[in-house]
Amino acid sequence: MKFDVIIIGGGWAGCTEAEKLAEAGSKVCVISEGLSLASVRYETPYSRHAGLQKAGVTVLRGDRAERGIIEDGKVTGVITRNLGEGEPLTADRYVLATGKFFSRGLLSDKEHIWEPVFGADVDYDPDRTKWFSQDFEADQPFMKFGVKTDAKGHVLVDGKSIVNLTAVGDICNE
Amino acid sequence: MMEVNPDYPGPKKAGPDGERYRLKDPAFFDYALKYCLNCKRCEVACPSDVHIGDMIQSARIKYGSQAKVKGLRGVRDWALASTDLVGSLASPVAPVVNEVLQLKPVKSVMHGMLGVDKHRTFPEYASKKFVSWFLKQDQSAFDKFVTYFHGCYVNYNYPKQGQDFVKIMNAAGYGVHLLEKEKCCGVALMSNGFAAKARKQGALNLNSIRKAVAAGEPVLTTSSTCTFTMRDEYPDVLGLENADVRDNIMLATKWLYEKLSSGEIKLKFRKDFKMKVVYHTACHMQKMGWQLYSIELLRMIPGVTLTVLDQNCCGIAGTFGFKKENYGYTQKIGSKLFEDICTSNPEYVSTDCETCKWQIEMSTGVPVLNPIEILAAAIEA
Repeated sequence: MKFDVIIIGGGWAGCTEAEKLAEAGSKVCVISEGLSLASVRYETPYSRHAGLQKAGVTVLRGDRAERGIIEDGKVTGVITRNLGEGEPLTADRYVLATGKFFSRGLLSDKEHIWEPVFGADVDYDPDRTKWFSQDFEADQPFMKFGVKTDAKGHVLVDGKSIVNLTAVGDICNE
Repeated sequence: MMEVNPDYPGPKKAGPDGERYRLKDPAFFDYALKYCLNCKRCEVACPSDVHIGDMIQSARIKYGSQAKVKGLRGVRDWALASTDLVGSLASPVAPVVNEVLQLKPVKSVMHGMLGVDKHRTFPEYASKKFVSWFLKQDQSAFDKFVTYFHGCYVNYNYPKQGQDFVKIMNAAGYGVHLLEKEKCCGVALMSNGFAAKARKQGALNLNSIRKAVAAGEPVLTTSSTCTFTMRDEYPDVLGLENADVRDNIMLATKWLYEKLSSGEIKLKFRKDFKMKVVYHTACHMQKMGWQLYSIELLRMIPGVTLTVLDQNCCGIAGTFGFKKENYGYTQKIGSKLFEDICTSNPEYVSTDCETCKWQIEMSTGVPVLNPIEILAAAIEA
């Protein structure tokens, strides 16, 4: 299915971006992993999704972007959990708004931090001891990690700019 | 359910948490699991893809048998679950059955003795089954075919939906076949504790589906719950392997959207068609992620003004909502949706699930149409 813009992540940043684009007349799809459910998950912008849907935005609640397809420096589609490999969603432009660690926009093990959908370059110190401060109340360095972008705001994958992929919200580095 | 009934322990505790104990000793089985609506919203919400709903369903089947409802309530559960038998018995005398089921004294007796809630309106039985109508339709002029799984509701209660499906397919240049043998998909049997019978019917359906797929035909449906049951609950809850044909079982809206958007089929739309519709995403539809196709298909129809409602459960959960002990919960769960519909003030609500349809029509008074019915009304015959 083809849209003007696909926004991956239905949190505050993704919803704000979707509202702006829908107002400007774009055909927008928001892929939002969360669904509010007592004892499993509580999702803050729950109420904003209702408004987006009424404004004509397609909100795929409870679906998840599993993998982005990148060909020749451009994103050509997104595979989602519910629709599967055979049915990629496509758009002219893609926006990454998946947030940081708690919303699984960034994943990590003891040596690496990575962005799971596009494999975007993440700006972090390879020395793990510098990821966090022992002082619990201090600013934690890992909260500043995020995906790298070029001067135009395009997300970098393997050091190359992806011309139709931008990032908004917490997923960006500081 | 948790929000309206504190007796229900919630998906986390009822599912994986409780399973640890049940594996040690079946005596840990909690009868409150009967309150699970099987809406699968827990599976949609789970960030780690745990099949919580399947786990609860399986536990009810495996450990809940000693809790089999006895006496008249047992008769009620059996009657609600046996859609094929009750439908076959009711349809020759449909006008009588429909009248009788509406009578106040009958409702009171059913409420008091059987525990079928008196507030419920029963879906009317049709005097002529869909299959009887279909067998008189000549489909021999076509060279391309699709197979239709009509389901119980279309066959016994609402043949019009099936007739609309045939009308659309014929207009698109496709003939319609039925499965060699079709039984109820089994969802009502499963939720009322008749797993063995559900498995038997599932195996029979899969056998016929395999024959249709081997003949190169997709198996199309017009009910989201039947579709979900055959695609996902057959393997996950009943242990029936369906990987070879699963991708060929799909809702007609998805198939039509794909064919229409690729230009493979064309439909001639009426120019004077106007309708103000709100779309309600049924829970099983959301689990499949296919609301996308029904919504986009409705948007393709000239003259349709479509608003998509926020995704809230209607509460009925199939036969669950017909039971007296559950009625109060189902209405509380659905209240957000009903309010949303009433404030939108539409001409029609559209949804892909027939039990959502009964619940919404009863609770809001707004008529509900399947997207297929809207499409059929919008094309030139």
